[in-house]
Amino acid sequence: MKILAIDTSCDETSAAVTDGIKVLSNTIWSQATAHAKFGGVMPSLAKRMHEERIDWVIQKALTSAKSNIQDIDAVAVTIGPGLSIALGVGIAMAKELAIKHNIKMIAINHLEGHLLSPIADIERPLSALRFPAIGLVISGGNTMLVKIIKIGTYEVVAQTTDDALGEALDKAARMIGLGYPGGAVLEKIAKGGDLKAYTLPVPISGQEKRQIFTYSGLKTAYSRLVEAEKPLNKMKIQNLAACFQDVAFRHLTRVLEYYLSHSQFKIKNIFVGGGVSANIEIRKRLRRLCDVHSVEVFFPKSKKLYGDNAAMIGVAAYFKAKAGQFQNPNSMDRDPRAKLSN
Amino acid sequence: MRIIKAVGNPNLIPEVSKVLNEGGLIIYPTETLYGAGVDATNIIAVKKLTAYKNRPLGKPYSIAVKDTKMAKVYGSLNKTALGIFNQFLPGPLTVIVNGKHKLAKGVESEDGKIGIRVPDYEFVNKLLEDFGKPITATSANASYKKRPYKISDILNNLSDKQKKLIDLIIDAGTLPTRDPSTVIDTTLDEPVTLRQGEIKFSENNQILSTGEENTQNLAKEIWQKNEVYLGIRSIVFALQGEMGAGKTQFTKGLAKAMGISELVTSPTFAIENEYESIENKLYHFDAWRLEKSGELKELGFDALIKQKSVISVEWADRVADVIREYDDEAVVIWVRIEFGKEENERVITWGNL
Repeated sequence: MKILAIDTSCDETSAAVTDGIKVLSNTIWSQATAHAKFGGVMPSLAKRMHEERIDWVIQKALTSAKSNIQDIDAVAVTIGPGLSIALGVGIAMAKELAIKHNIKMIAINHLEGHLLSPIADIERPLSALRFPAIGLVISGGNTMLVKIIKIGTYEVVAQTTDDALGEALDKAARMIGLGYPGGAVLEKIAKGGDLKAYTLPVPISGQEKRQIFTYSGLKTAYSRLVEAEKPLNKMKIQNLAACFQDVAFRHLTRVLEYYLSHSQFKIKNIFVGGGVSANIEIRKRLRRLCDVHSVEVFFPKSKKLYGDNAAMIGVAAYFKAKAGQFQNPNSMDRDPRAKLSN
Repeated sequence: MRIIKAVGNPNLIPEVSKVLNEGGLIIYPTETLYGAGVDATNIIAVKKLTAYKNRPLGKPYSIAVKDTKMAKVYGSLNKTALGIFNQFLPGPLTVIVNGKHKLAKGVESEDGKIGIRVPDYEFVNKLLEDFGKPITATSANASYKKRPYKISDILNNLSDKQKKLIDLIIDAGTLPTRDPSTVIDTTLDEPVTLRQGEIKFSENNQILSTGEENTQNLAKEIWQKNEVYLGIRSIVFALQGEMGAGKTQFTKGLAKAMGISELVTSPTFAIENEYESIENKLYHFDAWRLEKSGELKELGFDALIKQKSVISVEWADRVADVIREYDDEAVVIWVRIEFGKEENERVITWGNL
């Protein structure tokens, strides 16, 4: 079953063609450089750029997959969560295609896309995956731990009560002059830093049973530390970056570890997705933790599948199509605050 | 439309009084900015003013009076109001009191309140003395346009139709750029600052928060004081403060006070979040990633104000100019959160900073 998937939830215009869980193409046109010129994001610009590029991106995805629109069985699109006016562009395009070519339509929650992104192009048979499993989405917009009862049925275990992990890393980078969003730069700089240079409080340390993620307290402690350390030099910046990243990750793994060791069911598989999972340090730590608990951890197969992309939307849509969950194009609407569990 | 100079004209005051008596519309200088004045007891003159301001019907006007005695003729001054009159007036302050319904229709608000000013400006005092009745004290710009400090600020933003409605302009040159008047509502149990100008009520409007819970409770208190405007005007909480200061914490408290149980999280990534309970809806913006303040309008801010929505804006200082355009239409509460001495302490000031 060939699916054309579209995602315009934030800064990336993306389209992909998938066949089952196989990714035939995954075209992403990032707006990051356009927005970087302004130092932030301009929603109206994001919308305009999505509009300008979406035709090209879809055409490119079809060509790369050696397909044309007549081969497509269903068109899938992200309806949320995301930037409201950006989401609208992808939805309008998907509706147009579905109506024009009389193709079925599937609405996808962006979070489900991230959650299932490790399944894209997975080498083992799906029947070898063990459910219930758990999923961890760590990105600029979300940080959540999810119980995957089976594909399509989810239960949120823990989520951030303030900032997302990726957002916290971006802000920490900004505070030491690494630009915004600077989470990826922070990772590089942190490599040379001394983890013992500063002591920052691990959020809700000892109270992991609350099963929440929170970065506001850490952010505050860090911002005070940065102020106290000014003027900054290269060594201080490295150490600050290293210590913040270390504590932010420790909080994540501690909340996860609590769940792993207190879960009512035997967890065998964990799926990790979202932009932050491209960070090598967090992957290392998650692997180590999962080894200790004899859990197999799956990350997305390719770099493109970490950040926002349409292939993961296509994979999620495949399972929806199998379950016969299609949507009438006329009743489809964006849902900027879409929740995972329903 | 006639323009006369404010200085060197011995006949100035009687001439202006005459125009007002005939139901005319004047543009006149005050200590804060140029105002648009008509006889506040003359219904035809007030209608003319509404046409000039291009204002929706039902929006009240403040009035300028000579002194407390004249104020008492048109409004009931309770103890709080009297205290403020004695302590701060004349000066750049608008006091909201319950009206006595002796003014032209449309001057008092729909619920019968009236904003009263006693300007501290020689020309206006002399005029009020001579004219003997209150005149409207609204700024001379049309709604949503630039605050006028010189005559060209006004004329450049008017249509020919609007210009024709002006009978007389009293030109005092370029006025010093000052904040608009502070607005205090004395009809509630405790006086509430609706708009903070030059007079600061900092001792009432500043607290030291010792933690997140404290900050959330303060949000609740400020909400309760302003809840009366729900459905009448848009209520905007404009939050300022460094990263990690607690802007999202404040919004969490606000949501709780509004009966919203949904999880309130930072909207930095999505730029706008919406939460709702059965009766209330809260729009939560984050301007941190917005590069241009005008982008706020692209996100539908204008429509939300018109729908009388409750809105919280983090990093409001980045979009202050857009928010200020709605000073007339919305109740805008500026909240500044600063770090205190101790790790969890915050100094929170609210009003207009």
